[in-house]
Amino acid sequence: MSKNNSSGDGGNFDKARRNFLRGLGIGTAAAVARPAWGGQTFQDAFASFFQKDYRRMSAEEIEAALERIERKAQDRYDVAIDCQNTPPQPGVVYGYAINISRCKGYRDCVHACVKENNLGRDSQMQYIRVLQLDQGDFNLEHSDHYYEPETVPVEGKHYLPVQCMQCDDPPCVKACPVEATWMEPDGIVVVDYDWCIGCRYCMAACPYWARHFNWTDPEIPAEEMNTNTHYLGNRPRPRGVVEKCHFCIHRTRKGQQPACMEACPTGSRIFGNLLDPDSEIRYVLANKQVFRLKEDLGTEPKFWYFSD
Amino acid sequence: MNSRILQCLVCIICLVLIPAEAQETPDGQQALRFEGYPGTHEFDVVPRKDDLFFYPCTQCHAAMEPNPEIRPLNAIHDSDLEHGRGRIWCLSCHDLENRDYLRTLLAELVDFDAAHLVCGGCHANRHEDWYFGAHGKRIGNWQGDRTLYNCTHCHNAHSPAIKARAPKPAPPVRAGLKLERGIAHEKSSIWDTPEEHEEQ
Repeated sequence: MSKNNSSGDGGNFDKARRNFLRGLGIGTAAAVARPAWGGQTFQDAFASFFQKDYRRMSAEEIEAALERIERKAQDRYDVAIDCQNTPPQPGVVYGYAINISRCKGYRDCVHACVKENNLGRDSQMQYIRVLQLDQGDFNLEHSDHYYEPETVPVEGKHYLPVQCMQCDDPPCVKACPVEATWMEPDGIVVVDYDWCIGCRYCMAACPYWARHFNWTDPEIPAEEMNTNTHYLGNRPRPRGVVEKCHFCIHRTRKGQQPACMEACPTGSRIFGNLLDPDSEIRYVLANKQVFRLKEDLGTEPKFWYFSD
Repeated sequence: MNSRILQCLVCIICLVLIPAEAQETPDGQQALRFEGYPGTHEFDVVPRKDDLFFYPCTQCHAAMEPNPEIRPLNAIHDSDLEHGRGRIWCLSCHDLENRDYLRTLLAELVDFDAAHLVCGGCHANRHEDWYFGAHGKRIGNWQGDRTLYNCTHCHNAHSPAIKARAPKPAPPVRAGLKLERGIAHEKSSIWDTPEEHEEQ
């Protein structure tokens, strides 16, 4: 570049060009330092690219996909994860109830969820939001989920944890143009993260702000990585897809409690099988004054609130 | 009709002749026989005695003269009993003679591991909810064997209200967004009121 162009826009362009070239150099060096295909073998990269929708894969194809996920996690996080494909239990539809007179807003559930579901620690994404509202107020537009007082509960406030309601007539599923999200036979609305194109129509369709878009590659310390994972649940996700609460599918399908319920110190959360008339959730539905959020929308959430 | 009466008779006779298993306490008194609320599933309760610092109480109390008088305590026991706000006293729940046991209002002895039976004497609604799973905390699973925490795991029996504590950190505010606390839609400038609109 000539000296005349060294100031003003041209000069900036020159600088930008040089930075770009330098970046290119670093990029090339990185590409040389890392194995090709983003750390995968050519076969893995090829197979991932041509991987089918979860519901169209044969058992062998799913098995191969699970192994690819495990190899990729080993490469990305240096952790040996166990990615499973536990099927739904017959005769089980999950339901959740929260006792809002006992919830104190500690946010233990939020952070247990982040850990359990391998959410990026810097990604600004959390599946559960605990709303703080004035007592007697149920206008969600007045709610604040960024509350940070010295101690909770704050006098005159009440707390309302909100997460995916696992609607029985889910509007997000109808909105998806590529059928990357659907309701499983046990009532859990799941996402095939490898099939999702990241268009975020489902986020616009969800009336509960329960779906979240991951803008960044999740940063998870290797020692905090949860190695118990499920294809449709908490396995490491790619960047740029939509995620949501899946009732801890990797735990609940094996009879364990969801992580948020286990973490709740107040016992406000009650989870169980809606089809079992003797279950705890059915006792709550039969004996407590329950309500659902935005019930008038007709999405039939399988998530109830009650107070006693 | 006759057969039904017969069935009832047989049931009553069985109930009279076959008493439920009861714990024997040191004095030969029968411990409480509470069969639970009808329709509940069986469950285990997490034992409490291992966590009790001073248990067994007879370590000290064996050498002390029982004193039923209501008085301020000055030893290791806090006399500031918040539970009941002055309406109850140690011996409402603790037995004077058998220090290692609790007692119900009917003077039945209850093991410390089954403290919920004492709580249930007054808080029957909560107790029933706890049996059916609408109150309290189940451990580990939603399916299979039920294990519940005892009332006294979460509530300090002498001051049962749960104390306020610090919440876990708030979620980060999305990049590019600004946190404006307490601003409802109607107060925001982009929502004109009809009057303002007419003025313009």
